[in-house]
Amino acid sequence: MKSLVTLHVNGEPLSLAVPASWTLLEALRYGAGLTGSKQGCDKGDCGACTVLLDGKPVLSCLTLAHGVRGEVTTIEGLATPAGPDPIQRAFDVCGALQCGFCQPGMILSARALLNRVGKPTDGEIREALSGNLCRCTGYTKIFEAVRMAADGCERHVPIRYGTPSEGFDVIGARGRKADSIQKATGEAIYTDDIQLPRMAHGKILRSPHAHARILSIDTSAASALPGVFAVMTGADLPTAYCIIPWTPDETALAVGKVRYIGEGVAAVAAVDEETANRAILAIKVEYEPLPIVKDAEAAIAPGAPLVHELDWKGRPWADNVCKEVDLRFGDVEAGFASADAIVEDRWFYEGSTHAAIEPHCAIGQWSADNKLTVWSATQVSHYLHRELAKVLGVGTEDVRVIQPVVGGAFGGKSEPFDLEFCVAVLAKKAGRPVKILYTREEVFYAHRGRHPMDMAFRVGGTKDGRITAVESDILIDGGAYHSFGLVTTYYAGQLLTGPVGFESYHFRSRRVYTNKPCCGPKRGHGSVQPRFAFECAIDELAERLELDPIELRRKNMVTAGERTVNGLLVTSSGIAECLDAVERASRWTARRGKLPYGRGLGVAASMYISGTAYPIYPNEMPQSGVMLRADRSGKITVFCGANDIGQGSDGMLAYIVAEETGVSPEDITVVSGDTELTPVDLGSYSSRVTFMAGIAAQEAGRTMGTAVREAVAALWKVPTDRVAKGFGVYTDRDDSTRSIGAREALILAEAAAGTPLVSAGGYRTRKVGGDYRGGTIGASPAYSATAHVCEVSVDPETGIVRVEKVWAAHDCGRALNPQLVEGQIEGSVYMGYAEALMEAHTFDERGLHSGPNLLDYRIPTSMECPDFIAQIVESIDPGGPYGAKEAGEGPLHPVIPAIANAIADAVGIRLRRIPFTPDRVLAAIRAGRA
Amino acid sequence: MLRMDGFVYRHASSWEDALALWQSNPEAQYIAGGTDLLPNVKHGLFAPKLLVGIGGVPAGVRREAEAIVISAATRLDDLAVDSSIREHLAPLAQAAALVASPQLRAMATLGGNVMLDTRCMYYNQTLFWRQALGYCLKAEGTWCHVIAGPKTCVASQSSDTVPVLLALDARLRLLGPEGRRELSIRELYQYNGMDHLRLTAGELLTDVVIPTPGPGFRGSYSKLRTRDSIDFPQMGLAVCGQWEGSTPRTLEIVVGAVSPQPKPVRGLDAFVGAPLDDAAIGAIADLVHKQTRPQGSVHGDSNWRRQMAAVFTRRALTALRG
Repeated sequence: MKSLVTLHVNGEPLSLAVPASWTLLEALRYGAGLTGSKQGCDKGDCGACTVLLDGKPVLSCLTLAHGVRGEVTTIEGLATPAGPDPIQRAFDVCGALQCGFCQPGMILSARALLNRVGKPTDGEIREALSGNLCRCTGYTKIFEAVRMAADGCERHVPIRYGTPSEGFDVIGARGRKADSIQKATGEAIYTDDIQLPRMAHGKILRSPHAHARILSIDTSAASALPGVFAVMTGADLPTAYCIIPWTPDETALAVGKVRYIGEGVAAVAAVDEETANRAILAIKVEYEPLPIVKDAEAAIAPGAPLVHELDWKGRPWADNVCKEVDLRFGDVEAGFASADAIVEDRWFYEGSTHAAIEPHCAIGQWSADNKLTVWSATQVSHYLHRELAKVLGVGTEDVRVIQPVVGGAFGGKSEPFDLEFCVAVLAKKAGRPVKILYTREEVFYAHRGRHPMDMAFRVGGTKDGRITAVESDILIDGGAYHSFGLVTTYYAGQLLTGPVGFESYHFRSRRVYTNKPCCGPKRGHGSVQPRFAFECAIDELAERLELDPIELRRKNMVTAGERTVNGLLVTSSGIAECLDAVERASRWTARRGKLPYGRGLGVAASMYISGTAYPIYPNEMPQSGVMLRADRSGKITVFCGANDIGQGSDGMLAYIVAEETGVSPEDITVVSGDTELTPVDLGSYSSRVTFMAGIAAQEAGRTMGTAVREAVAALWKVPTDRVAKGFGVYTDRDDSTRSIGAREALILAEAAAGTPLVSAGGYRTRKVGGDYRGGTIGASPAYSATAHVCEVSVDPETGIVRVEKVWAAHDCGRALNPQLVEGQIEGSVYMGYAEALMEAHTFDERGLHSGPNLLDYRIPTSMECPDFIAQIVESIDPGGPYGAKEAGEGPLHPVIPAIANAIADAVGIRLRRIPFTPDRVLAAIRAGRA
Repeated sequence: MLRMDGFVYRHASSWEDALALWQSNPEAQYIAGGTDLLPNVKHGLFAPKLLVGIGGVPAGVRREAEAIVISAATRLDDLAVDSSIREHLAPLAQAAALVASPQLRAMATLGGNVMLDTRCMYYNQTLFWRQALGYCLKAEGTWCHVIAGPKTCVASQSSDTVPVLLALDARLRLLGPEGRRELSIRELYQYNGMDHLRLTAGELLTDVVIPTPGPGFRGSYSKLRTRDSIDFPQMGLAVCGQWEGSTPRTLEIVVGAVSPQPKPVRGLDAFVGAPLDDAAIGAIADLVHKQTRPQGSVHGDSNWRRQMAAVFTRRALTALRG
């Protein structure tokens, strides 16, 4: 029952009729429309809902609206008519915002700190922000922003403020992100911030059994509840789908059988979330529990129960192995025979999840003429568009997918999820828009995170430092469905062959079904796990061969123009420079192996793809399209299907178009991730966007730039090549007194064309990859390279490992905006650090998650996060836009083995299982002494 | 989002007012900071019909004869920076500053920390999760999944301030339907995770009374946790004593977050009155190890947490003896 409450918010009285059970967060967001305060964890673990109460940061999700006495300040209350608060501007300028979802809370905590302490120390900054979890930045740029605000930050800063690369006007300059001030002020609209008239709220009933047959579902009591508009079950959507079109093994809601705890079984839409919650509890499902497959080892045991009885073609499965790859390159036996030392061991990589602070959310709405619009926090709006049409049985022309601002993804939103289908069906049945917002717990069940991998590796090398042979046998725990599993199984072997190369290679990888939430692509999809094993193994190999670990890596580098042992063409590589950089910065030679007991340095290297060479579904169309439209006010609008998930792809498009047209990035608007308005881009996965959408933007920009130069040339009656583009201006190369502003130039060009000034560009598939079955999986038009050195201290009495510093050198080709590249490096290193030390997405014997919330599943706070020193190496790639390659995933890989190798240097133990929890470390130290 | 449902809220301006409101509804519960209660309500562990807000009752630290009296409504962040607490009861300020995160400390009260419900990985979960588990002894079920048995619930008393308050011999002023009474905090807790507070229904903690420590008082609180913020303790260790140089004249050690009851270490008298040398510290650490039996209800390998109690003891005593 609602009752009136009068709050004092941002200096104004605010009277709202809200239920007594509503928190301040609910009242602000859903009562007052102040959606800048975010909801991330449901219950006080993440800090995204932080507001100030009488100047102190408090959690609005654990504050009853009716219990508030005092003045509330939300993110919307910080800015004044004179402009944003300096702390908001500092976050914007420093690149402290990526997805922006945690930042309103973070900024308020920072504001309170600065009000209390004018010039805080680094320790005070870390402490003050330690209740606000950020998943994107690794906190580095956030600390920088708070320091900048303390020193005084201008309220207005131009979007480009660094020096561009030589020969460029925009490219290479440090600059703000396209949308960061909107994020810093709470203006950015995320999916759950959208409220539509008459909108109903959906909930999904989930299976409490890891493996069971569904005998019956009785929804009558739920349907009869007042306020319930629609009920659905798996029978409403029996068409199977999968992000990989070859392996459709999943339905929107379970049909016939459930395969993990948390799988959707039925769904309802009701007048509010509370009623929807009551309704799903009223649904009666009769289950026949089945024996479960709890992990990969159990999956391959003789007589194991089958997770799936039939495959997508109706053929019976003989076992739980859903994909097996076995590939040989070169003569492995001869390679081992010639080795002077062989390291052979097993490594285990624990599962982990993305834990983006924004939970998944989707809204479905049908128009009167039967057209469906779905707003979703997705990173693949195009694939979602296709799968929605397929599963719903409607034409793609009747479906529109809109991606609002996304609050972090990391691979966790890169395929369709149950809620997106359910909102469509429920909205149809209810005759009104329906929203479903996952609880944090549901995010853990949706998962698609890092696969646990059990990895046997054998690596041989010679005294002169050649790695002659590598052999691996990898068992991959896939969870209940396929997801990207076909690709994962290849990636586990295919992506290991550089930047440290080897002469012969045999790998076998098997992905198995188990009764757990489905694994998928988490940042560094498929290759982070074997990279851990391999980089640890070659560290041991170096020790046995009495070689410096960096030297061993140098001796085996795959350099530009070479092919790896499995046929991947490395078009550019800065690995040598990366190794040099971290060796120098860490003072490796003087310190490694020479630090006191308990302190150590470790190194590791890696490479990663800049997009997969081929689209997920075979077609001849461009993998990325960009359209430009100039208007007479001197602005350009960029249309592209690419999904900005916080990494800054909208900004990247704007910088490139600015570079090519001379229009300032501030005058460029990007419309992205809307399937009705934008040309197709395949989505934000596989580190493809800068490379592919960047090429498309470059082409579109160049076409428009040429048209403008031709129009200016006609005006000046000079050859086109005399017209030079500058920053916001076109000039005559031969007459420095003559110039014309970009705005006037656009008007001239429109007049010359006689049509609106538009252009288009595309990224067309390039034929690359090895000439064998599977040779195109792992093939990419370009590969990044990375090397890290980590410094750790290990407390030999407690086993507690502290990572003190990570020097991360990453070759991203040309850095289009170094600030954003650094953000990607720092965020990647943070995420790898977290996997190495604390995160574990684990399940018990029942298949029950060990703690699906952000208190039990611990992600690092600002307190223990190491110092990250990101160094950019620019090997200009011949095929990338201005030579750019990926930066978003590669830098994650080396962190885990570099930490393991540093622990070995510190205390002489080799850890082969992540996470390196203190009890394990202590046990290993003691076992080493025994 | 996890939503709550089905209760009304009434704001109390005094302890007496709060008690009267509580008595008005048989399904009432008190709410102070709400930082522990509301997650539990969101998890369906409690379904109050009335929440009586006691967070607005006058807070603060005051002196009485021979004692420092802290209103139960005092926020933990205020406690952590209070000048008299920092001066006279440094380990309490230290413990208060180590609770959870800045936001949670700004909301949570000392009273709430003392009265905190016990915690367990099988209990502090959503209704759905617990249903999938088959519930547990502490809520709706018949089986303790930690010790695999039907009899004892070993959910952990997980407050950071409580081990210190025991070591300081704090007394609690309570107000209940039967009137007022005072209780030593050592009498408050019992080894039963389902019902770990020896209280009568409706009793409110109004004040925490701490005898002013004598001369030479030194103490510390150390907290074991994965992250340096947000996390509950995996083990907490309070050491308090009166010292003359390196000689303890009194010595109290209390281990928290290992079981339903904070654990005062016995047998420390043998080490009082003589300078604490390394051998004595080692012997005390062994004593702590022997008497600490962590239950697996919270994060971290139990055996490792036990070893850490000994390591923390050694480190704390080494630092305190100067």
